[in-house]
Amino acid sequence: MSETTAQRRVPRRAAWLVIIVAAAALLVFGTVREGGPLTQQDRIDAVTKRIACPTCDGESVYVSRASAAESIRAEVARQVGDGVRTDDEIVAYVAERFGGQVLLVPRATGLDAVVWILPPLFTAVLLGALWMAFRRWRAPSVATATRRPLLVALALVVVVGVGGGVLVARQSGQRLPLETLTGGIEDSTASLLAQARLASGTDVASAIELYDRVLVTDPDNVEAITYRAWLVMLSARQFDDDLQRQAYGASVAAFGRALELEPSYVDALCFLGIVVFRDGGDAESSREFLTRCLAGAPPAEVKGLVESLLVEVEAALG
Amino acid sequence: MKAARLGAIVAALVLAALVAVLIVSDGDVGVGARSPLLGQPAPAVSTTTIDDQPFALARRKGSWVVLNFFNSTCVPCIAEHPSLVEFARGESSRVDGVELYTVVNDDADDAVRDFFTSNGGDWPKLRDADGAIAVAFGVAKVPETWIIDPNGFVRLRIIGQLASGVLESQMTRLRETSES
Repeated sequence: MSETTAQRRVPRRAAWLVIIVAAAALLVFGTVREGGPLTQQDRIDAVTKRIACPTCDGESVYVSRASAAESIRAEVARQVGDGVRTDDEIVAYVAERFGGQVLLVPRATGLDAVVWILPPLFTAVLLGALWMAFRRWRAPSVATATRRPLLVALALVVVVGVGGGVLVARQSGQRLPLETLTGGIEDSTASLLAQARLASGTDVASAIELYDRVLVTDPDNVEAITYRAWLVMLSARQFDDDLQRQAYGASVAAFGRALELEPSYVDALCFLGIVVFRDGGDAESSREFLTRCLAGAPPAEVKGLVESLLVEVEAALG
Repeated sequence: MKAARLGAIVAALVLAALVAVLIVSDGDVGVGARSPLLGQPAPAVSTTTIDDQPFALARRKGSWVVLNFFNSTCVPCIAEHPSLVEFARGESSRVDGVELYTVVNDDADDAVRDFFTSNGGDWPKLRDADGAIAVAFGVAKVPETWIIDPNGFVRLRIIGQLASGVLESQMTRLRETSES
């Protein structure tokens, strides 16, 4: 056998070796890889396995039979059934309520990220150390080499390890609320409504704007319809009669629409009674609305207004 | 020598930082427990009372709302009940009185009804059959008490048994804070 033939065989053998190793690796990967959930129950199981039972030690919600775990399981099932939130978002919802300690998969941020970064870092350091040791065994002269290549290699190992760790953390770490697009429509609506109420006492224009924003995404939101109309009417009282008339018509129509959407929404009924008397001068209708309002157990703030107004209305009717 | 001095400086800096953290940290949290929901809009709660009346928390804006998570077999719940009755009596005389609701946790309607018949308390009792309200508030064990302000923001969470007078003093504090 000539030397050239032998030299040609070495790369060919290496190529075959690479192909065999790659095929085996892909076969193993394909066999052990977990597929996505097939049914809703699979999804519920997968999510509940990622959440720790808040009242028991070392058990996931999937395993635990504790009351709190059962409640969480029911909530997960409900959210999976609704089909609105992703698995990550459902886990984030639970963690937002019970705290980060219920996460069985550590977060990819803060101190938790160390859990993800350390294993790849140690692996890289170990591999680097092995490589250095092999080099020393094969070429003892390397041991006497200058320290600079050693430091470069060390830095490289650390960079590779940390980089790998960050990648693993990003890929596998648990995402919490605000770290992902977890804000549901109902959450943002609730937040806008709460902000609007807060602003209504001090900055009516901003409050109306916030209600408008709610109505853009949820045109049938009775709270936004009612309180926007109420604030518009209150603001219009400082302007001329023509504008007040317009505001009155629009407000009465808005309260009517809110009651059409939700007949039991007592706030709309109360405001309708107030506006009809104060701005429309119709005591008869006002009494009817206010009486029905009080029968519907309005919130304390509205109740106080209505009770004092009803005395005035009764007096006007004689 | 230089290294030793540097080490001493670093140690002193770390110690100073720890002392600073201890000084500025708010260690006294009072009776209130931590929750990510504090200062946030209250979760949407929609259910029925054990008398089949509809209830929606979002529709109670304009009132202070107290939610007490309860189970008729839980010892601390039974122990704190007289203070809740006392609190409800005091609030009923106020114009801006608190609306108190019991959230029934993993318990039967009849058991709850029997308990309240024997021990008093005529406020509404909300069903939470599948624990949705408990999960929404992050309640793992009862009793727990939550206070929601008239704007719909969660203001206080109290874990465990309520001591006598605690709700009254917390409400006074919260009302003062919201008025100022």
